[in-house]
Amino acid sequence: MPIEKEKILSVEPERIREKSRFVLDGMDISGHWNRMFEQRVLWGYEPDRLDQVTKLDGGESLGWCYQCGKCVGVCPVDVVGDYGPRKIFRKVQSGIDLFTDDDLWLCTTCGNCLRVCPKEVDMIQIMPAVREQAVLEGHMPPELQDAFEKTAKYGNPLGEPARKRADWTREAGVEVPILAKTKRAVDVLWWVECYPAYHPRGREASRALARTLAALGIDFGIVGVDEKCVADSQRLAGEKGLFESLAEDNVKTLAKYEFRRLMVTDPHAYNAFKNEYPKHGGSYDVVHYTQLLAPLVSKVEWKKTLAARVTFHDPCYLGRHNGEYEAPREILRAIPGVEVVEMFRCRQNGYCCGGGGGGMWLDGFNAPHLEERLSERRVREAVEVGADVLAVCCPFEVSRFEDAVKSTGNEGKLVVRDIIELVDEARGARQ
Amino acid sequence: MPSDRVLIIGGGPAGIEAARNLADLGIPVTIVEARERLGGMPIHAQYAALTPDLEDAETAMNRRIEPLLGHPLVDLRCNSAVTGSSGTAGDFRVRVAVGGKEDVVPAAAIIVATGFQHFDPGRETQMYGYYEFDDVITLPDCEKMLKEHKVVRPSNGQPPECVAFIQCVGSRDRQIGNEFCSKVCCGIASKEAIEIRQQLPNCKVFIFYIDMRMYGYWENELYWPAQEKHKVNYVRGIVSEVLKKGDRLVIRGEDTTLGRPVEAPMDLVVLSVGMEPSKGTREMAKLLGLPQNPYGYLDTVGVPLDTVSTAVEGVFAAGSCTGPADLEDSISAGATAAMRAAVLLRKKRAGAEARG
Repeated sequence: MPIEKEKILSVEPERIREKSRFVLDGMDISGHWNRMFEQRVLWGYEPDRLDQVTKLDGGESLGWCYQCGKCVGVCPVDVVGDYGPRKIFRKVQSGIDLFTDDDLWLCTTCGNCLRVCPKEVDMIQIMPAVREQAVLEGHMPPELQDAFEKTAKYGNPLGEPARKRADWTREAGVEVPILAKTKRAVDVLWWVECYPAYHPRGREASRALARTLAALGIDFGIVGVDEKCVADSQRLAGEKGLFESLAEDNVKTLAKYEFRRLMVTDPHAYNAFKNEYPKHGGSYDVVHYTQLLAPLVSKVEWKKTLAARVTFHDPCYLGRHNGEYEAPREILRAIPGVEVVEMFRCRQNGYCCGGGGGGMWLDGFNAPHLEERLSERRVREAVEVGADVLAVCCPFEVSRFEDAVKSTGNEGKLVVRDIIELVDEARGARQ
Repeated sequence: MPSDRVLIIGGGPAGIEAARNLADLGIPVTIVEARERLGGMPIHAQYAALTPDLEDAETAMNRRIEPLLGHPLVDLRCNSAVTGSSGTAGDFRVRVAVGGKEDVVPAAAIIVATGFQHFDPGRETQMYGYYEFDDVITLPDCEKMLKEHKVVRPSNGQPPECVAFIQCVGSRDRQIGNEFCSKVCCGIASKEAIEIRQQLPNCKVFIFYIDMRMYGYWENELYWPAQEKHKVNYVRGIVSEVLKKGDRLVIRGEDTTLGRPVEAPMDLVVLSVGMEPSKGTREMAKLLGLPQNPYGYLDTVGVPLDTVSTAVEGVFAAGSCTGPADLEDSISAGATAAMRAAVLLRKKRAGAEARG
């Protein structure tokens, strides 16, 4: 295949990403890419660029980096690309404009860098602060803009009509009380969130959870069509205004109902209700569904043995961000026949699926910067430990990992299941 | 008549040096040492060789300790503790307990030289797996093995083929709360690396660092010889965490000068743990009413020009109870504290004589 010389030269050198193997006319020229371009010296430093970041509320700590490199060792993006918090500091210090640079969108806010950072350089504050400015100035990837616009217009990033939000309940096989209709107090108000309400695979998990809650005799109900996206990922992707307006709506909605505990399916919603909503007038006793069910596993009537080797992927926003590592594992260990195996990176050091911090809506934009998707890397890790099932409990993950199972050629070797789907199956309830 | 005695709390390098100088000036001293013998951390923690000259630690320390043993002006109290103090400069009355018995020692001045302890790498986080993996050890653990000429992997007793030192463990870290540099670990890691290369010539040794802080002559006396003569490999970029794969350890981090992540197998990982104020230092601060800095070290009031005076007149502090210190710092401060105590004692005595 002949290369069109003009086309190659029109590409800026810094945008070239090497493929792991590049064969041209039968000749392997991997690793020779950057030799085609002139190496250049740094012409100077522009510390002003760094000042622009550090003067933002939340951006201060980028200026504290002392280049130890601990973050890069645990950054899930650097494993599959060339991006790490330390490098961001150096690039900004040497003059890149982070507000318009592609690097701004690679961080998934997984929080692993902050865990190991001796200087407490906090990317979970820095990235949203810089992204907020970029969004205000109109510099954002089109696919992310699309997700923001759908969230604003429909109350969910999938662009589904609000009136269909509770449609999934029809095929649950049990009654799912909708509080606007039942008008009574409940023990558990279940905040379903968008992907569990609309995405086909999310809906399957929601139905499984409804059946399990009913079987355990839990007094629960959902909000239904008035529920809107909690939008924590949109906040971390830079749409703070959208987050705040939805938070205001959701706090008002929740104020209409009487409940003791607020249960969420989505760790991102868990994070927002626990750590952000109190700032917007909403304080709740919030639990993730795994936390609600873990103490009740002895009451579950198991009817089937699953005989599966299961590995669990810790969601960043349940584990690292909020410290829950045990509840999901307790449930898995209670399922008859399940053998739990751990991947090389797990718990505090768990890998990221790539969906957080807006990553859910940036796969296309980020692709040229990554050797493979984070979800693909993770699927290969699950296969490496000989798992038959990759168990998850975050609604972003089922679809991400199922795509990755296909793209890495692991169909037939590994299936992806929400923990609640495994519970449902072992209860013999799956329809 | 006020006492003409100086009470020294702590018989490590700084305390020993203070005692030696005071006794040489003809001033009687009482040394209160919590452990069973003099020598402080180099003896207690069984250091192999001192930094930077690599002299055998026991030989070097004994040269300083022996003249004090049986010295007519040195009242040495080992296995003992200070339990209380009253009075003021020139006329302190210090309660000293030995084996359940208490005694009051009158003293004109007090020198606190209660030292440091090694940072416990399992205390704050488990990132390096110190309590999890046998083959993750600390600088002082390595000293003990070097002293016995038996550097092995604790997991199987075999000599390691590949050793990694990880710098700045417990130092320069806001999350842990120790924001200071412990000052000596770069030099000590380099010293231990040289010793490992001498004892195990086929062993590959790596030092993962953020900045190599080799003050003054440590640069040419330790760092350069380690790299040039003893073939120690220095890699810039600190290890993020230690994991286990099979029966070996894997260190994960970034080689920052190459800008690439590292996941390299190692047989033995040595954590270059920093310094923290010892338990004795914290206790003496409370007991004598000495202000501490946010890290628990004793505050000296006149730094940089006065390194030993505390907020309490007549109480001086010397050595690593005031902050990370190498041996040279501790010895200098011990001598300075002795001089300040002697001056105070002379002034008080002159005052008392004038009053008749």
